[in-house]
Amino acid sequence: MKLRHTIAALAAAATLFSLSACASPSGSSSAGGTTTLTYQYFNNQPAAIAATKAIVADWNKANPKVHVNLVQAPADNLQDKLTTQFSGGVAPDIIQNDAPSDILPFAGYLADLNKLLPSKTIDDIDPAAKKSLTTGGKLIAAPTEVQTYLVFANKKLLEQSGATIPTGDTMTWDTFEELAKQTTTDGVRGLTWGLKSPTSVFAYLGTGFGATYFTGEGKDAKAVFGKAERQVPERVASMIKDGYIDPTGVTQSSSDVLATFYGGKAAMTVAGSYQIANIESEAPAGFDWVVLPALEGSKSASQLAAPITLSVNAKSKNVQAAADFVDFYMKGENLAKINLADGQVPPTTSGLAALAKLTDGKNGWAQVLASGKNLVTPAFNTLTKYNNWKTTVATPGYQQFLAGQISSDQLSKQLVDGWAQLNQ
Amino acid sequence: MRTRRIVIRTLQYLALAAFLLFLGFPFLWLISTAFKSSSELNSLAVNLIPSRPTLTNFTDAFEAQGLVRAAVNSIGVSLATTVIVVVISVPGAYVLARYRGRIRALGSGWILVSQIVPVALFILPLFFILRTIGLVDSPAGLVLVYVVYTLPFSLWMLQGFVAAIPVDVEEAGATDGATKLQVLARIVFPLLRPGLVATAIFTFVAAYNEFFFALVLLQSPDNFTLSVALSTFSHGEGLSRIGPLAAGALIASIPSIVVFAILQRRLTGGLLSGAVKG
Repeated sequence: MKLRHTIAALAAAATLFSLSACASPSGSSSAGGTTTLTYQYFNNQPAAIAATKAIVADWNKANPKVHVNLVQAPADNLQDKLTTQFSGGVAPDIIQNDAPSDILPFAGYLADLNKLLPSKTIDDIDPAAKKSLTTGGKLIAAPTEVQTYLVFANKKLLEQSGATIPTGDTMTWDTFEELAKQTTTDGVRGLTWGLKSPTSVFAYLGTGFGATYFTGEGKDAKAVFGKAERQVPERVASMIKDGYIDPTGVTQSSSDVLATFYGGKAAMTVAGSYQIANIESEAPAGFDWVVLPALEGSKSASQLAAPITLSVNAKSKNVQAAADFVDFYMKGENLAKINLADGQVPPTTSGLAALAKLTDGKNGWAQVLASGKNLVTPAFNTLTKYNNWKTTVATPGYQQFLAGQISSDQLSKQLVDGWAQLNQ
Repeated sequence: MRTRRIVIRTLQYLALAAFLLFLGFPFLWLISTAFKSSSELNSLAVNLIPSRPTLTNFTDAFEAQGLVRAAVNSIGVSLATTVIVVVISVPGAYVLARYRGRIRALGSGWILVSQIVPVALFILPLFFILRTIGLVDSPAGLVLVYVVYTLPFSLWMLQGFVAAIPVDVEEAGATDGATKLQVLARIVFPLLRPGLVATAIFTFVAAYNEFFFALVLLQSPDNFTLSVALSTFSHGEGLSRIGPLAAGALIASIPSIVVFAILQRRLTGGLLSGAVKG
């Protein structure tokens, strides 16, 4: 009897729920002279969410006739969501995405910002960042935040080892390797480096040695893995072999290894600039840390221009209003706010200046800002199949190489042949 | 002899305890993580019991992602799906189990084929269909998809329970003068109760845990289910918020546990014993 009653109650509740809501898809709408735009973002860090909300609130206050509605989407499966949103005609008006290679597949659905943003805003953008988001002469997105890779160090361990802490804007790889050697003692490794997904960090830092990884474009693109491309993985493998890098950390993510770093079991860690925000808020009391100068290869101390982006849906009913919001977001002080929250570098001249002012004297930020001043955009940055190659070919290949299972030549063959197969 | 039996029994219980620990440890770790502070989560110490338990992760989880609203959505969608699937499955499973012929062959074929088609293959056509009928970004649309998605396996599962009921029982009822409908209502349905419970639990859990359809079909945060809301705590390498994610996941697991706790007593078999006297 009880079960029968339970089933009846559940059935009633279920039916009511099913009949309850049929909401309309996202997108712009206009009612009572007010236009509503939808801005879909993926930030999940509390400080970045707060900064985004503050920017949107400022816009809404300054533009009562154009209201921006903020919608959060999960970052990890954003591409799947965007694919169906664009194909199904329910994409939001303004879209945030993670990198050029992520937004490029949707180029056909996006408005040309060259025609919509004021020339002052366009000219303010870093040339490499702009190039990474230009396809067929069309600027499909505005770059808002650039991640760079940096060396974070435990100041006390560095000093105890007797090493000289490097200063200036850059530090050579030889100096870095020497530091790792000097700081490796009983129970302490020179370096803990989360290399669970090594392709990105190798690509960023490899550009300093002139690594291009690919030649040609689109269907004609070919993977290359020559002397320049081998530099970073070979140097890292050598440090692992010599015991300067914590072998456990190599199998972990850059966040996982922070416990080793905080615990004083490693003198340095290499991580994305975003970790400055985590280290600032999570490091144990009394933990004295510094950011070392940007790593410099044989050619330069360049980093990859792979910015977080803001795009406008070409099918939005209010394309210009959406572009006006992007223009507002791109203002130096707004980019400074969001980049400070996310621990990244603004890819605009005004943004860099505003963030320098905002972080004046703040631990590590001078190095973070300096690391973002030399951005480059190799051809692979805009290959739409790059992400697929990265996940299915490059990352497993690098992992095998770092574990000593394959040689540098075998790795080279795997990466080149793997791309050829994918790009058929 | 007695000593040997005690030793064997002790070893059996030890093995059982080890197995339970193996199964339960991830859940214990989830509970532990949910109550740890950010600094403890970033320390090298491995403690199952947090050194200074905190509720910060729970407040963060609730404040950040509208988990209460998402939980209501998830429970509503899962209950609706469960009720509809069970109602459709009972007659369907009976036909599949009892009527041997073309219907059974076609039905079984459809069930098996539906299990091997990857979701990615039909997500776009599905999206277009739902958009045409105005059910994108709607819990009702999601219920419809979940019913179609879980029905084949539920049918397959339930028809096994129907097949396990001896035809003799039904024939005995008919011999005593019961109509076909009475046989179904008074004999088959009560005997099928453990199967119904198992099917309901399976359907509820499948709908409650489902992520991909919900991610793609739901657009407004107001309509997000728990799986989608929780995924916003995760962000590739290095940016996942482990504490709030664990707290959210812990809360999210409660409805499944409650449903299972309520229904598990009905899951026990043995109802057929003595049903037919020889």
